[in-house]
Amino acid sequence: MSAKKQMSTKSIKAILLIEDNPGDVRLLREMFNDHGAHDAELTHVDCMSAAEKHLVEHAVDIILLDPGLPDAQGLGAIRRTHAAAPRLPLVVLTSLDDESVAEQALQEGAQDYLIKGQIDVRGILRTLRYAAERKRLERLKDEFVSTVSHELRTPLTSITGSLGLLMGNAAGNLPTPMARLLAIAHTNSQRLVRLVNDILDIEKMEAGRVVFSFSRVEVRTLVAQAIEANRGFAEGYGVRVRLGEALTAADVRADPDRLLQVVTNLLSNAIKFSPPDSEVVVAIEKGVDVVRLTVRDHGQGIPVDFRPLIFEKFAQADAGDARQKGGTGLGLSIVKQIVDRLSGEVGFADAPGGGTIFHVQLPCWDHVASLAIDREAKTDATRLLLCEDDLDTALTLRAQLRQVGFATDFVYSVSEALARAEATQYHAILVDINLPDGDGVSLIVRLRELPQYRDTPIVVVSADTNPGRDDLRSSKLNVLDWLTKPVDFDRLVRLLAKSVVRNANRRPRILHVDDDNLVARALGEIADVVTVNSIEAAQRALKAGDFDLAVLDVELAKAASPDLLPELRDSKGNAIPVVVFSAHGANLADDPREQAALAKSHSSIDSLVATVRDRLASRLASVSGR
Amino acid sequence: MTDIRILLVDDEPDIREIVDVSLGLDREFTTRACASGADALVTAAEWSPSLILLDVMMPLMDGPTTLANLRKNPRTAHIPIVFLTARTQSSEIEHFISLGAQGVLSKPFNPMTLATSVRGYLPPSVTHHVP
Repeated sequence: MSAKKQMSTKSIKAILLIEDNPGDVRLLREMFNDHGAHDAELTHVDCMSAAEKHLVEHAVDIILLDPGLPDAQGLGAIRRTHAAAPRLPLVVLTSLDDESVAEQALQEGAQDYLIKGQIDVRGILRTLRYAAERKRLERLKDEFVSTVSHELRTPLTSITGSLGLLMGNAAGNLPTPMARLLAIAHTNSQRLVRLVNDILDIEKMEAGRVVFSFSRVEVRTLVAQAIEANRGFAEGYGVRVRLGEALTAADVRADPDRLLQVVTNLLSNAIKFSPPDSEVVVAIEKGVDVVRLTVRDHGQGIPVDFRPLIFEKFAQADAGDARQKGGTGLGLSIVKQIVDRLSGEVGFADAPGGGTIFHVQLPCWDHVASLAIDREAKTDATRLLLCEDDLDTALTLRAQLRQVGFATDFVYSVSEALARAEATQYHAILVDINLPDGDGVSLIVRLRELPQYRDTPIVVVSADTNPGRDDLRSSKLNVLDWLTKPVDFDRLVRLLAKSVVRNANRRPRILHVDDDNLVARALGEIADVVTVNSIEAAQRALKAGDFDLAVLDVELAKAASPDLLPELRDSKGNAIPVVVFSAHGANLADDPREQAALAKSHSSIDSLVATVRDRLASRLASVSGR
Repeated sequence: MTDIRILLVDDEPDIREIVDVSLGLDREFTTRACASGADALVTAAEWSPSLILLDVMMPLMDGPTTLANLRKNPRTAHIPIVFLTARTQSSEIEHFISLGAQGVLSKPFNPMTLATSVRGYLPPSVTHHVP
């Protein structure tokens, strides 16, 4: 095991309290202070997004969560906390009347809960220590399972290898009684291999270490493949597997390897629980926006008591089942975990005439593809391209970005990203660094090779805090920032607002009040410029049209300030930002709207243009955000 | 008869023996085995195998390090390498391929078909050799 620092129960130093009720916060703080919990520091945030941000930026030892927050409630709050900090112990605060939340919290991975109004000082410290210790043990268990499973594979390789060679007559023909005994050993060694594989799979999935590669999958072909692969297994049980009604044009968005695992597990489950000489029928149907796959058996059905537990780990209807059926008790649990990650749904029902029907529903490809283009946002909104292979993450981020006025199209792969970027001019691009058909860095390299994306703002969004992030930020690829998931949304919006220069439909307009032609020409490269040399002309220009920015010579501005400055508004009444350009470095210190003052004699025209571009960017972003 | 030389590198003696028997099912294969990465560097340079089957988790010098060292020596740099490993997450396979391996075979393997799988990774110049 690595030399990672294991948190001891004595070292609870940083407690994060996520609670929106100021009274409860005060109460808890007082308790900690009164008890002289000397080395423990209590930090408080009042919503989930602030908690997520805090967890990214600060070291925390334990989390105290009230799951009734303005931006996250109940199970959702618990899941988000767990997603933001899967390795931290979590204690949930509940009120007397919602102990059901407490129960769900424990199922979702919380270590303990406290009931508000019944908390005392000694109790809370004991609970925190206990929760931290419990979490530590859970982690040790997970690491242990992973190590042991790897270690088991080595002797298993020798055992299955030797038996396989003997059974294949590689060491000469075997007398029949000996062959039968070896066959038993061989079959069971293979079962042990499956068990180890299943345990490893589930442990990896629970720890969030399985990377899914999404693509377009034709369900019919995949099912046929799974049936073929399980033919021998079915024959062993005297069961026939048949593909029943199956649409040909039923494509879904999934990871083909993982979906094959789902179908295989459902098939082997159905086969094991079928009576000899019966039939297992697989069907593929299409619903609204989903493809539905069903596996029907003619077994005895699932006992009522067992139904709520069926997707639990090591769950089997009765203890004798495992031995009798040769299962691991993990198959359906793995199915559930995978289907969840595929943004799908799995369930079961009694089949008419006996037996059980399991179904899996997955988002159909056409539906997902139609989601990719943001059609609900305003047509003139600033349009972003999000390269993200997780559908749920993409949809959540789009919904958030839409609220602040951005339109977001998304793609799942490097190849799609390049095709879309060439078809539409995007104003900024968000790239997840782990994409199924290549990495995000190579996507950025290829985007930068396209002339129309040479300067487009690019932000990396990634689940890992990759050590390469600083290299990437400082490299020539000109990546604005590397944001870690869960994304700090406020920071993302600030970044976009600052960097997205061009608006979809028009060039920015500048009112230039000066008589310097050189400046006018330079500004003309980044905007439409109306140059006037008197206050009266400026006033006329303001009446004729909207401007995004005014650039004023200080002498004119001073003379004008009582008359002109109040008039510097667009047709909606919003104040227009002002950049003052002066011969002496003087400025209009009294006017809060003045955004930048530059000395003509000292600053080059280039730096004026840079300043103006910067002001325009934040101006346009805030306008498009309205 | 063609002589196709396969060098196996694995620290587990039992696995060395099973791989030896499995590969022996193909009459054209001659197999030698090394118990460590360091031995493999010497044997590969002397014996010039057609392909190296390389374990990943070995003490002292692990599979990827052995691969890197084999690539550094001009006498062994060109030899195709296939990892034989108990870790077969698809991301790990991609990682091994990116290191310059020709392929990845997972443990436990089917001993009756191992030789056929290995054959698939041999360059045509080896399999179509005219005696």
